[in-house]
This record gives sequence, C-alpha cells and structure tokens, in this order.
Amino acid sequence: MIELKNITKSFQNGTIKTDVLKDVTFGVQRGEFVAIMGSSGNGKTTLMNILGCMLKMSGGSYALDGVDIETLDDDQLSDLRNKKIGFVFQSFNLLDGTSALDNVLLPLVYAEEYPDDARERATQLLESVGLGDRIHYKPGELSGGQHQRVAIARALVNDPAIILADEPTGNLDSESVREIMDILKRLHKQGKTIILITHDINIARYAGRTVFLRDGKIYNEEVSK
Amino acid sequence: MKIMKIVGVSLKSILKHKLRTALIELAILVGIATLTVVVSLTQGANKLIMKRIQNFGPDAIMVHSGGGKMRGPSTAQQANLTKKDISDIENISGVKFATPFQVELDMPLKYDNQFTTSWVMGVEPDWRDAWRRGASKGAFISNSDNEQLSRVCVIGVTTAKELFGKADPIGESILVKNISFKVIGILEKRGQSPAGTDFDNLILIPFSTASRRLMNQPLYTSMLRVIISDPARAKHVAGKISGILRENHRLASTQEDDFRISTAEQIAKMIKSTSKTLGLFLWLIAVISPLVGGIVLMNIMLMAVSERKREIGLRRALGAKKRDIIFQFLTESVVLTFSGGGLGVGVGVIIAIFVRHLGKPISISWQPFATAFVISVLIGLFFGVYPAKKAANLDPVDALNQ
Repeated sequence: MIELKNITKSFQNGTIKTDVLKDVTFGVQRGEFVAIMGSSGNGKTTLMNILGCMLKMSGGSYALDGVDIETLDDDQLSDLRNKKIGFVFQSFNLLDGTSALDNVLLPLVYAEEYPDDARERATQLLESVGLGDRIHYKPGELSGGQHQRVAIARALVNDPAIILADEPTGNLDSESVREIMDILKRLHKQGKTIILITHDINIARYAGRTVFLRDGKIYNEEVSK
Repeated sequence: MKIMKIVGVSLKSILKHKLRTALIELAILVGIATLTVVVSLTQGANKLIMKRIQNFGPDAIMVHSGGGKMRGPSTAQQANLTKKDISDIENISGVKFATPFQVELDMPLKYDNQFTTSWVMGVEPDWRDAWRRGASKGAFISNSDNEQLSRVCVIGVTTAKELFGKADPIGESILVKNISFKVIGILEKRGQSPAGTDFDNLILIPFSTASRRLMNQPLYTSMLRVIISDPARAKHVAGKISGILRENHRLASTQEDDFRISTAEQIAKMIKSTSKTLGLFLWLIAVISPLVGGIVLMNIMLMAVSERKREIGLRRALGAKKRDIIFQFLTESVVLTFSGGGLGVGVGVIIAIFVRHLGKPISISWQPFATAFVISVLIGLFFGVYPAKKAANLDPVDALNQ
C-alpha cells in the first residue's frame, strides 16, 4: 500500500542545511498497523508529513496505492489527502466554536461530492467513538480525550484507507490514552491501515510492527507477537 | 454543492469574528456613504441644470443686441436690432415666430412707501407663447395695451412680495421711475434663469410703452426671442440668423458680431463648465474614500489570515485546495464589503435627505444604489485577492504547527 524508497529530506535555514531524513526505506501493507518510534528530533514528524502528502521530500520515491506521489500536482495531492488519508493530530486541531458534528463534517466540505447522508454518517461515527450524546457540543465543552475522539471521527468521515496518527495520545491522561488506543485497535480490526507515530514504547506496542527511527534513519524493525 | 458549503464556511466565520466584521463594515460604510452623497449631489445639480435649460426652452434661440462676451440680457441702451432684422428672421424656414422685447435692469419701483428694484421688460402679447408663461392671476399684456401705449404691468411673484407683502396687487398702481403703472396681472412663477438669476423678480409692460415712454428707444429692439419648430435644428437656424444680422448690419468679414445668439445647448455647456471644478473635487473625495475602506479591508484580512493560519493549515490537510481557500477568504471579503456597502448607501441616503432639508439640490434615485453596490463588490474583490492568495499559499505544515 505504501512504498518508501531512499527518502531524504533536508531543510535549508539561511546557510545552514539540516538533513532530517537520511535514506528511509520501508513499506506498509494494506490493513497493517505500524508504529513509527523515535524520540523527538529524530525526524518522525517530518516523515509523518511526507507520508501525509503535506511535505515534498528532497529525494527518494514514495508510492501510495501504486501512484508515484512526485507526479501529482497540488490539487491532486489535496484530493488524495481528502480521500485516502485520515489525519489524527497530537493537538487535535478542532475548529473552535464549531460543534463536534460540524468538525466531523469538515473533510466532506472539500470532497468532490457532498454525500446526502453526511449528517447520519457523522452522527454514527461520533456514536461509535462514544460521543453520541455530545454531537452538538463545542470543543470548549469537551475534555481532551473527547477532543481526540471527535478528531478520529473526523479522520474517518471520508472512509479513507489510511489513518495517520501523529502522537495521538501525547496530550492525554492515561485513561484517555487507553480509550483512544482501543479505538485505533478496533479500526485496525475493521480493516483500516494505521500508521502511528509515537515516542512512547508502550503506545507502540499496540501496533503489529514497530519501525524505529533514529537520527533520520531506520535502525530497527520489530514485529509484535 | 461544494461552493455553497464553502460560502457557508465564510458566512460562519463572518458571524464568529464580530469585531473584525464591525471594523471592516464601518470602513466600507464610510466610503460608500460618501460616494452615495456625492452621486446624489451631482445628480441633484444636473437636474437643476436641466430644469434651468428647460426654463430657457430647448426650442428657443435668444438674440441679444451688442457683441462681446458679456453675459446676461442686453438693455435698451444697447439696442441695435431693427424691424427689418426681426421680419427677416421670422422668414427663415423652421422659425415659428420671433418676439421682440426691451429690457431695463434694476429699475427702481415704488408702491406706497415700499421700494424695490427689478427688471422691467417691454413685451408683446406673444411673449407669453414664446416663454410659455402667462398670467397666473389677472390679465396679460394685450394687443390693445400695446397699441394704446397703456401704462399697465404684469408683475412677478418676487416683486409682488417685495412691494405688496401678502396683499393683492391687482388693480393697484406702482411707480416705475416715477411713471405710474396699473397692475393687471401676476406672472406665473418660473424660478431661476440658466445663469441663476431670479426669473420672478421682474415686471412686464407693453413693448410700445417701454420703447417710447420709459426707455426712450423707439427705433431699435434690445432682445429677440425666436421660437423654432425643431429643437434639433437650433444650431442651424442660429447660423442663419447670424448671417442675416451680419448682412443687415453691413458688417465686414473682419468685423466682430454686434449681436449675440444663444441656444439651449450653449447655455448647458456654459453652466457645466462652471460647475466642473467643484464636481471634480467632490468626485476625487468620492473615489478616494472607498479606496481607503478597501485598504482597511486588506489590512484586517491580512491580520485575519495570520491569526487563522492553523485553521487554514487544517483545511489544507483535510483536502482543501488552494482555490478553495482563496474562494473562502474572497467570499468573506466580498460579503463584508457588500453588506458594508448596503449600510453605507443607507447612511448616505439619510445624509442626502438631511442635506436636502438644508436647501441643497439633491436627487435620490436608484443610480447611487447601483453604483455603491457595484463599487463595494469590486473593492471586496480587488482588496480581498491579496490576503486570500496569501492564505492559500501558506505552507500547510508550517500553518498547522503555528
């Protein structure tokens, strides 16, 4: 499903060039649950942005569903993000003053066609993450764990093949962490491909396979039982 | 429809950021209100000019004695139009008739112990047809008045008010330069002349009485009003009149005219050129102030874009294309300027009504509304494009990590 070959990424800041990713190669199969592990400053967020088609790589090749990402223009990348990737961010990124329901509906605004059953679909998703009774609550009226559950419902509304979760539990208490991870596990069972980025080995253990990133390179892979 | 969804996003954002909305609308409101008032003022002035030209008469040609560039009527002392001139002019094809009259400016009038000055005109009965203006009360100058050199007069409403106040002047006698005239009628109200003088401060007396008894000008006529059948041919007929007069007055080709001819068209040109400078100045203000509103809009929208980087980054991550973001912000700008423009027209009209109560000519019609709406939408588009493009060109990753 995902093929990364010899990915490099460097940032130019004035005259200083920083190589963040140095030759990253790995693949993700359809339906797999992969964790990318690494402490901060090791390039995992950069890798995540490249996987999410938000950032151009400096070198190497990236094929998603057999499509070479390099050949797509900005509009096509937008469509691809909209259709195939569901983002879950560390800081939730919900719109303030906007109800949980409308937050979940947000990706559909940019879909090619707005489905007739959009509201039912969004309501069902919120029910499935346990927020059926709070669909009209605004972010200010929800807890951190609930924020992230809304965000997961939003990531699912377009029925994407891949869920890309960047430290989804980084800002949460331990109980919420368990809730969120249980939801991700359930999604995996339902057949979603999940890529999880984390610095926490306990979180990474939820995944079927963990890719260790250090100093811009993959130095180890580990398959869980 | 995707477009309607994004319009919905824009509208929500406008309602959410109330202070920003208020500031932009205020800026646009001031600009559009100014524009509205200026458009109303200009239209009012134009209407007034049209009315004055109507007063002059589009089918009339005025012939003045004496050449030069002086404006205003020619007095009996300057008179040099002969009876032959008049009959020759009446024979030009396209001329219905010509009526001569004598004018004396600012003659002293007296009634009882009231004094005033006014124009005195010696006229023939067809003066009434030439000016489409008769007596609103009482009688007009008749043929027999003219034949008998009667000392009767028809007086304008301003003069009547000066001399008689609210009392009825008809049947009373007034003194014009110490000659007594009996008031037989009140002249229809007319307002101002094209040049702005009061057409109601005058008295009419029989032509013969004026020429022989009052103004001592039995041979020549000071002014002539020619009525033509086709207003479109005014210029052509005026040229013919000029030719006849030059020939009759035996002017060599090197000599200048010893008469002046004016048509409605020339009068219109003359008035318009005098009001041009002021109009230009007003229009400058009217154009600049909506532009200032546009600059305010651009400023605030730029601020909004940098405040809302995170939102923009999120939308891009979730699949918004650059053009979706441009469309969202441009819609916000246009909706804000359009509604600000609407309020501005309202305020402008209120000011215009107020100014009209102060006595200035103001015309309130649909044009200011149309202008204001078009201008405000154009401002929204023009000054909104840059902030919208800036929003769309943000790097999604950077924007999201703000």
